[in-house]
Amino acid sequence: MNSAPHILVIDDEPQILRALRTILTEKKFKVTVANRGEEGLTLAATNPPDIVILDLGLPDIDGIEVCARLREWTQVPIIILSVRDGERDKVAALDKGADDYLTKPFGIEELLAHVRVALRHSAQLQGRKESVVKAGDLVIDLARYIIKRGSVEVKLTATEFKLLAYLASNTGRVLTHRSILTHVWGEAEADHIEYLRVYMRQLRKKLEADPERPQFILTEPGIGYRFISDE
Amino acid sequence: MLSRFRNTPRLVLNYLLGLLTFSAATGILYLLRDILDTPLIALLFLLPVGLNTAYWGLGPGLLTALSAFLCFNYFFLRPYYTFAVHQTSDVVVLIVFFVVAIVISQLVGQARSGQAAATARESEATKLYELSTALAGWQDDQSIARILAEHTLQTFQAERVELTAQSKIQNIKLALPEGIAVSSRKPELLVPLQTVRGTLGELRLWRTQPLNQPAEERLLHTFASQGAMAFERAWLTQTETRAKVLEESDRLKSALLSSVSHELRSPLATIKASITSLRSGNVQWKSSAREDLLAAVDDETDHLNRLVGNLLDMSRIESGALKPQRQWNLIGEIVGGVIARMRQAAEYHKLDVQIAEDLPLVPVDYVQMEQVFDNLISNSLKYAPPNTTIHVTAQKQNKGTLLVKVSNQGPTVPQEHLDRIFDKFYRVTDADRVTGTGLGLSICKGIIEAHGGHIWAENLPDGFAFNFTLPLTLDGTPPPHLPVDSETI
Repeated sequence: MNSAPHILVIDDEPQILRALRTILTEKKFKVTVANRGEEGLTLAATNPPDIVILDLGLPDIDGIEVCARLREWTQVPIIILSVRDGERDKVAALDKGADDYLTKPFGIEELLAHVRVALRHSAQLQGRKESVVKAGDLVIDLARYIIKRGSVEVKLTATEFKLLAYLASNTGRVLTHRSILTHVWGEAEADHIEYLRVYMRQLRKKLEADPERPQFILTEPGIGYRFISDE
Repeated sequence: MLSRFRNTPRLVLNYLLGLLTFSAATGILYLLRDILDTPLIALLFLLPVGLNTAYWGLGPGLLTALSAFLCFNYFFLRPYYTFAVHQTSDVVVLIVFFVVAIVISQLVGQARSGQAAATARESEATKLYELSTALAGWQDDQSIARILAEHTLQTFQAERVELTAQSKIQNIKLALPEGIAVSSRKPELLVPLQTVRGTLGELRLWRTQPLNQPAEERLLHTFASQGAMAFERAWLTQTETRAKVLEESDRLKSALLSSVSHELRSPLATIKASITSLRSGNVQWKSSAREDLLAAVDDETDHLNRLVGNLLDMSRIESGALKPQRQWNLIGEIVGGVIARMRQAAEYHKLDVQIAEDLPLVPVDYVQMEQVFDNLISNSLKYAPPNTTIHVTAQKQNKGTLLVKVSNQGPTVPQEHLDRIFDKFYRVTDADRVTGTGLGLSICKGIIEAHGGHIWAENLPDGFAFNFTLPLTLDGTPPPHLPVDSETI
């Protein structure tokens, strides 16, 4: 990406739009804004952005639907903005193809961090896929099925590996309960959140220095999990 | 009196019995006619008159008196077997006999009917007493309606009793006996339920026999007015309770409003002051001062955000909209997440979590339970002195519940405040005003109770603790089993 990354912000609040436009332009992004869902979809089609920041509470069409309609033709990273307690909407948008979420009000550093993760992820999608993921003293070789903590190899069960592999190949992204369950256990088990709770505890015990205060496998309350690796 | 209209066959029987007694008496006297003096016979003839009046009533008595007069004349005054009287003294005896017989039968008859009336009044009073005793103490209008209808049905031996009553709050309709089809006939008796304030309803009776005037009618009206008064009393009490509830909710709302406006304005004041200072071009801020002002804005924004969140939660709890999405979760994971986020706030305290590895899955709403732990730990951090430890423990109890304890080495709370600290805006001391929203603990209580648990506070020998319980079953089912996993990859 040679030129400045292009961010499309879809939000109906003029104050937020004004602030984001000012701050993101200052941070060397190219910014386009839309305050309606339809307008955002048109802008995304005529001038494809590198990232979409989308508010879920739009006056004309539901933000979740905007996600779904964008996903019909583009894999552009979508970061959704939502209010606290909007877990249900967040999960719905993530399941419809959004990549990440931020809860209003958020700090600008937080937003920039999420933008960076999203850009890196879309670069990975386009280019080569890393088969070795490093996180702290942890090295995960997805192709060779080898996991090491420092120099010690960690033994995982089949399900634990499948779970870790899915997390690690989506590093930095939020993965909803449903998407993890579907991917690891299959569609029929998509509601068995307790599988995740138990297996995540097992994984953390094997991989984290302090399983009660995890550094790599983070819980996203009410949403799912996120794997954090080194940059 | 009562029997006069009701039982015609009985009346005829009374007359017949009267005549029979009299005939027997006449027969005996006739046999003794030659032995006894005429005045003595006259005296003895008064006996059946008095007896008949006393036993069979005034009518038979009077009939006996008249018959005795005629028979005395016919059988016992010379010349016998004629109604003619020859001696002047006999005429006097006859007249005196007639007058005395009539007077005796009248007197005895009056005494008799007086007694009957007294008996009737006594039973009336008893029935009224029974009704008012039954009605007393009932505040609920349905019970009052039932009691009134039951007593009316029994006392007046009606086929059916229907009761309707209307208040501003509700309508009552009751028909007894239950399970009997509504009569196509119109009710024979209608009595309004009347009070000083107007008619509350109506009592309808189906009874083919008319009421005995005036005693029964009076009793029925007294029943109706007793019932009406009971309804009125019940409804006044209800109105009063309602008014009290409204007053209480009004008081809470104004407490909320005053607290909210104060709580919302203080962070806004800080933000406004800091920002306007920074924007004013007159002063060149030193970078440290600038940093302080910006940090204050940042902190106060977070505070405001928390406050708005708490208010929303509280209104959700109060409107019953806070429905936990209960799923099988690990308490350890929830506590871990909360503590990780609080690391900065807890920099002057030690946090010690003791949650057993083998603790079962607990059916809770993850996000809501995070909030409970967040509020309880924040509260502990606020009151416990620096460099002390806050303990979080969770253990399974025998009764199939989980007991969670968040304890600290902070000051104890006077016993009388222990229950009330979970009330909205309740503060143990005025100094508490400085921080917090006064809502955190009441939100915890709302969440725990929505989960079917129980929360309480207790003083410890060396500190203070919050305890709560959570059921370990979800709609009666225990935690599910996990699918089998192969050992290694």
